[in-house]
Amino acid sequence: MTTASAEPLLSLRNVEVVYDNVSLAVSGVSLDVPEGQLIALLGANGAGKSTTLRSISGLLQAARGKVTRGEIRYAGQLVNTLSPQDRVKLGIVQVLEGRHVFEQLTTNENLEAACPVEMSRAEMRSALDRAYTFFPRLAERRNATSGYLSGGEQQMLAIARALMTRPRMLMLDEPSLGLSPMLTTEIFSIIRRINREEGISVLLVEQNAFAALDLVSHGYLIESGRVVMHDTATAMKNNPDIQEFYLGGHGVNFRDIKHYRRRKRWLT
Amino acid sequence: MDWILFLELAANGAVTGLLYAMVAISIVLIFKSSAVPNLAQGALVMVGAYAVLAFSDWLGLPMWLAIPAAMVFMFGLGIGIERHALRRLAGQPIIMILMMTLGLDIFLRGITLAAFGGSARRMDLGISDDPLFVGQILMSRVHLTGAAVALMVFAALVLFFRTRRGIRLRAISNDYVASWSVGIGVEQGVALSWALAAVISTIAGVFWGAVQGVDQSLSLLLLKSLTVAVLGGLDSLPGAIVAGILLGVLESVVSGYLDPLVGGGSRELVVAVTLILTVLIRPHGLFGDRSVERI
Ligand SMILES: Nc1ncnc2c1ncn2[C@@H]1O[C@H](COP(=O)(O)OP(=O)(O)OP(=O)(O)O)[C@@H](O)[C@H]1O
Ligand SMILES: [Mg+2]
Repeated sequence: MTTASAEPLLSLRNVEVVYDNVSLAVSGVSLDVPEGQLIALLGANGAGKSTTLRSISGLLQAARGKVTRGEIRYAGQLVNTLSPQDRVKLGIVQVLEGRHVFEQLTTNENLEAACPVEMSRAEMRSALDRAYTFFPRLAERRNATSGYLSGGEQQMLAIARALMTRPRMLMLDEPSLGLSPMLTTEIFSIIRRINREEGISVLLVEQNAFAALDLVSHGYLIESGRVVMHDTATAMKNNPDIQEFYLGGHGVNFRDIKHYRRRKRWLT
Repeated sequence: MDWILFLELAANGAVTGLLYAMVAISIVLIFKSSAVPNLAQGALVMVGAYAVLAFSDWLGLPMWLAIPAAMVFMFGLGIGIERHALRRLAGQPIIMILMMTLGLDIFLRGITLAAFGGSARRMDLGISDDPLFVGQILMSRVHLTGAAVALMVFAALVLFFRTRRGIRLRAISNDYVASWSVGIGVEQGVALSWALAAVISTIAGVFWGAVQGVDQSLSLLLLKSLTVAVLGGLDSLPGAIVAGILLGVLESVVSGYLDPLVGGGSRELVVAVTLILTVLIRPHGLFGDRSVERI
């Protein structure tokens, strides 16, 4: 377990999320992101990873979801009911699953759109420069319509765009989705640099568990809307359940048994 | 064939078409930002014209003051309509939103009828009624001025969409969720597009008022401008300009030759056929985004 001395930048306590007033997607998730750290949130399809991120960024409202129980604290403040806009102002930003670039805008316009309103021209220029230093590929394509960028470039743009909001905590929803292993490595190493050079805390959601665990210090495993494991990255990588789960491909019954076993072991 | 007549019909049609385009631009602005087809657009033009008359006739302001004053008033009205009538419908089925804009249309017509009565009023811009000879072609000065202003409005919008605020508005029209995710004020952006649309409606109201007088029939501009907006592609501003000219020319030329034969009414027919064919053959219009069904 983490032995963080100071209060974590972000902490979730027993967060429960319901969609459309009826369907329970996340039931009692607790997790911490200490300032300056890289943390992974892992889990299979439909486990509730994106839902958890949306509860933190406030984007649940846009998906007809609601936090019905629990606390989301960020920098000592309860943020449960804040609008997405206010949370971005506080430094929370989420890079959406599936990239979601502004397809009709150019690369540069995508970045400008994300500039805080109060940012001056000069500040914006230096923020753009900084974003382009992290992603030199984007600088080459700054005047291209972003809808025509490659998948990898769009993912980079989505991350660069999030950086324009001057975040203190960056949440990434499956940045490796649909990318080659090589591109994934490239993007992950940029995420590491962003974390080190800018001191931005990162909460990384991934299905690609092994790539993610190479990057982060700690990880959480979420299953059917509950956290079933929380440990250091090294310990998680060596965990037979994680290995078996992510190397997958077993019959349904066998997996059900394993699920049960794992749950017994990790649920307290 | 009489080329002078043809050219005269086409030129006057193009100029009238640009006046339709000015109204269509407002429809496009609102549709782009919020995917709402605003059926109250004609009524907004009418209210804009009445607002100018209220400032000039009731408060005695000169025209050059009454028009900007009406634009400011309409800016506020646009924001108010978005905030109080449409924002709370977010996420509702599109049919409910359509019904709301229809309700607004009826409401605005009712309230202007109560306040100003049914008889037509003059909108005097001080532009001479004498036709202007362009070469051998006769053209209306008011129409020409209006067309020039329509092009200026279009140019101003093109410039606006390059500013940071304009870029944010385009981002909103592109992807709501992504806009929220980077802290863009989506609601404020949509309200701004209603406000801009209402301001442009005022300008359109001034010229349409000068052309045909200010009365309830100004709200019927909805039909032609909606046709122009659909033909151009509901989310394309250049599309509105091109389609406006196209429809104006078509309407003027066809009716110029047909009306004497059939005894009138072919203008409306051209508009109807254009709208129906566009929807059947090319629903995304000339320049629209194919994936326009997004809500
Ligand atoms: N907008 C929504 N409305 C209703 N139910 C939803 C919505 N979004 C997600 N859910 C449900 O909530 C549960 C968790 O979904 P979520 O998207 O958080 O999973 P995930 O871990 O991100 O999965 P994936 O890896 O496939 O992205 C699923 O059962 C899903 O069907
Ligand atoms: Mg997801």
